[in-house]
Amino acid sequence: MKRPFQWLCLALLPVFAGCETDDEFDGPSLNDLYGAFAILSPFQSSADTVDFSSGSTVHFTAEFSKNVSWILEVKGLESGAVKEISGFSKQLDAVNSVWNGTTTRLPFFKSEPCAVMLRFEAESDTLLDTIFVSGTRNYPGLLLSDFEGVANPGWTSFVQSGADMSFGIQTNGTAAQGNGYFDIGGAVNWDFLIAYLFMPATAYGAPTFNLSSNPELVYFNTMLYKPENLNNGIMLFQFQEDDNQDGTFTPASEDMYAVEVQMNQNNWSQLSVKYSDLQTLVNGQPASPNGNGVREPHKLNQVNILFLANPASGYANARLDYMIFTEGAALEP
Amino acid sequence: MQKLHTHLLLLILVCLGLGTQAQEDRKVNFTGLARGLYFGDRLNQEGATPDTVTPPRLNSGHVMVDLGVNIRPNKNTEILGMVRVRNDYGGFWGSGVTFDVRQLFVKGVIGGIVKYQLGDFNYRMSRYTLWNYNQEVIGRMPAIFQQQTDVLNYEHFYENDNSWRQQGASLSFALVFKKFLKELQVNAVTTRVRPSDFNQVNDRLFSGLNLQLVQSKYLNLGFNYANLYDVAETSNNTVGLRNPVLTGTINALYGNSHFTLSLDGEFGRSRTFYVNSTEAPDWNGRFTDFNLKLSQPKWGLYLSGNALQVGSAFRSPGAQTKRIDFGQQALAFSRITNNQELRPYNMLDLMRESSFYVMQLRPFLMEFAPQYDNITPFGDATPNRQGAIIRLGYEKKGQPLKAEFAHYALQEMRGEGTLKPRMFSRNQLMVEARVNEYFKNWKKRLNISFHYRSDKTSREADDLVRGVDLQTEALSAGIELEVLPSLDVLFGIQTLQYKGFDFTAVRNNFSEIFNFNEFEVDGNEQMLGYGLRYRFSDKTFLSAQMNRFQNANALGTLPDYSLNQFMMLFQLKF
Repeated sequence: MKRPFQWLCLALLPVFAGCETDDEFDGPSLNDLYGAFAILSPFQSSADTVDFSSGSTVHFTAEFSKNVSWILEVKGLESGAVKEISGFSKQLDAVNSVWNGTTTRLPFFKSEPCAVMLRFEAESDTLLDTIFVSGTRNYPGLLLSDFEGVANPGWTSFVQSGADMSFGIQTNGTAAQGNGYFDIGGAVNWDFLIAYLFMPATAYGAPTFNLSSNPELVYFNTMLYKPENLNNGIMLFQFQEDDNQDGTFTPASEDMYAVEVQMNQNNWSQLSVKYSDLQTLVNGQPASPNGNGVREPHKLNQVNILFLANPASGYANARLDYMIFTEGAALEP
Repeated sequence: MQKLHTHLLLLILVCLGLGTQAQEDRKVNFTGLARGLYFGDRLNQEGATPDTVTPPRLNSGHVMVDLGVNIRPNKNTEILGMVRVRNDYGGFWGSGVTFDVRQLFVKGVIGGIVKYQLGDFNYRMSRYTLWNYNQEVIGRMPAIFQQQTDVLNYEHFYENDNSWRQQGASLSFALVFKKFLKELQVNAVTTRVRPSDFNQVNDRLFSGLNLQLVQSKYLNLGFNYANLYDVAETSNNTVGLRNPVLTGTINALYGNSHFTLSLDGEFGRSRTFYVNSTEAPDWNGRFTDFNLKLSQPKWGLYLSGNALQVGSAFRSPGAQTKRIDFGQQALAFSRITNNQELRPYNMLDLMRESSFYVMQLRPFLMEFAPQYDNITPFGDATPNRQGAIIRLGYEKKGQPLKAEFAHYALQEMRGEGTLKPRMFSRNQLMVEARVNEYFKNWKKRLNISFHYRSDKTSREADDLVRGVDLQTEALSAGIELEVLPSLDVLFGIQTLQYKGFDFTAVRNNFSEIFNFNEFEVDGNEQMLGYGLRYRFSDKTFLSAQMNRFQNANALGTLPDYSLNQFMMLFQLKF
């Protein structure tokens, strides 16, 4: 090592060699943020007709010059139902644009032609297509009623003798699902209760509903509608459990859970509540249950639907549709 | 508060009394600085509609004294306590007076071997571990403007050795060897960068270790460890920063009476991560920086070549914390026009406003101003740079002329938002001369200085994204002419022009880029100043100067404007 300095310089030669750049970059792509937008391959659906009842799905394809925020909207031309799928990508494909017949904005889709529109958050382009839904989705679960046709004869009800009372299934094309819904309305100036509808398990052929015993798995779902100018309605759903399984519900010694909904959301909306989240309510306030205090969906023997309104508030109205128990997850309409 | 002021004044007087007695045996000395500073500004806007909202005149200034008592209770111990009394103009009868403790330290030698220092001190390690790089553009100005910058630098403890003011403890010692090696120097430091709030903010410390192995005057090897880290359990926050940096240095010298060849290099790596955080990145960065310099002592000429690679993930808060926080707003004429729009900072603001300057290390990459410096905004430690720097210069001991030309040819190691890297080019010329020394009988001072810098950043456009092309030119020239004994006429000009387009990175709290903003400028700034300075001694002067600053911007909504500034500065160091 007689000439250490020269050796050192030789060893450092690679440092002085040419510059190479990484094959990846820092931050988001400038092309995505500021590059010009162009459609490189046309927007189209994977099928012209789709039957969701058989489990089929449809997806859409397109390719762009850069990653963009896109919104795909499918609109039922008869029902008015809307399905929205959104994403941020350079292409639409079978991974990011699959439609299985579900709805984003109620009502449910029908068997109908649908208009498909692809638009972009930061671009003015809009791409159009059409598909035909030949069969709607099947929804697994215990259906209490879709309110199509006539009422279940096992149901019991009570209606106050107020003014402008309405109580029953209506069929006029404005339902959340299908053609029929249940309409409740009226003005009762002496009582909160306007009307109630009781759905006992016996109306479905058994002393209790055929539900899982695990309250974490069971969901109660229904579609609710409120007219735009009425905000005074209260919908109370009660769930009576036959704790001792003697075939009758005893209010003083058995559990009754409930969920109360202030009807303040216009048009159709979905109510989905997990059974384990139900509370015992007294005058709208949580209270201790009278029975064993255990939420036992498999012992549920009756669902009560009570429509209430402040007697001083005048006319109230609400609609119900597609009432169903699902297991594992809330209903995806 | 009034009581506190009284007590502090009494303390100062007692110290002065003690000092008078103690001066004789040199156990107590006084040190410090006194300053009187006055600014008178006038704003002139050149908008089509006269501004009837903004008052065009602004006066400000202060008088202050930093009084330090340096006590040496024994030959191995030194204690310094310095208090500041400051009165802003307009504060009468004590209402605007502030008292602060400016610095306090104890230092000494243990057993004649280990040096230690506790309290406030300036500390510096290597250029990639702990180094306080000069501020952009105004780091080196003509003497007339430098007076204002020097005030700022003093206020923030920015020393010429590029050290950072820290508060903590340091120690150093050396082991001397008989054979093969000359000595091993050991330097260690730990300082507190941020105190805990006992809620969600942890104590943050900086620790450094430097080992310097001196083989001979021809070879010197070094090892540096620096870490900025949060101390666990000093608050309820379990997330903690860790940013260790390890570097090695080499200084080798070879030469004879005809030439000298020297090699100075530093290389190392960093890791940046947060414990107990799933969101924070874990970055590993590297760098190498070697400089080979060939000097001809007889002619005073030198030529050096510098090759560097600093990875985009290299993070070293001690070296990458900037002096200027460009996120701040100028206080003088902060809003102008009838719409009271915020006025962006300019060269004059950066030259005199204290609010832009930081004192503590920052754990993230700070904002910078691409129009002022887009190439080395974080000094040599600017991440994501590679390339070469060539310097050709003249500097000879005892000669009154110093000159250097430098050319930077750098590029990014990793593209930002695209695979294509930005390319950087800089040409820089510096000439400084004490002209009177060329003439045998000319004893009065005549100093001239000239600095020119031309920067260019470029990146090719691709099919869809706009290319980058940003140019900056900075020029400054100054004259100090002594017309009567100790009375100097000062003149200076500094211009800055910038034009072009770039994308600026927007970073999150972890310094990750999550967006890019389009950045377009087309403007120029010019400062012209003249004045007089009377030097009572090397440490005391009185200066009065007139400066005219002009700002023109072809883009944006603000009109062009100018600022006429009168400044009077008296400064006394003792």
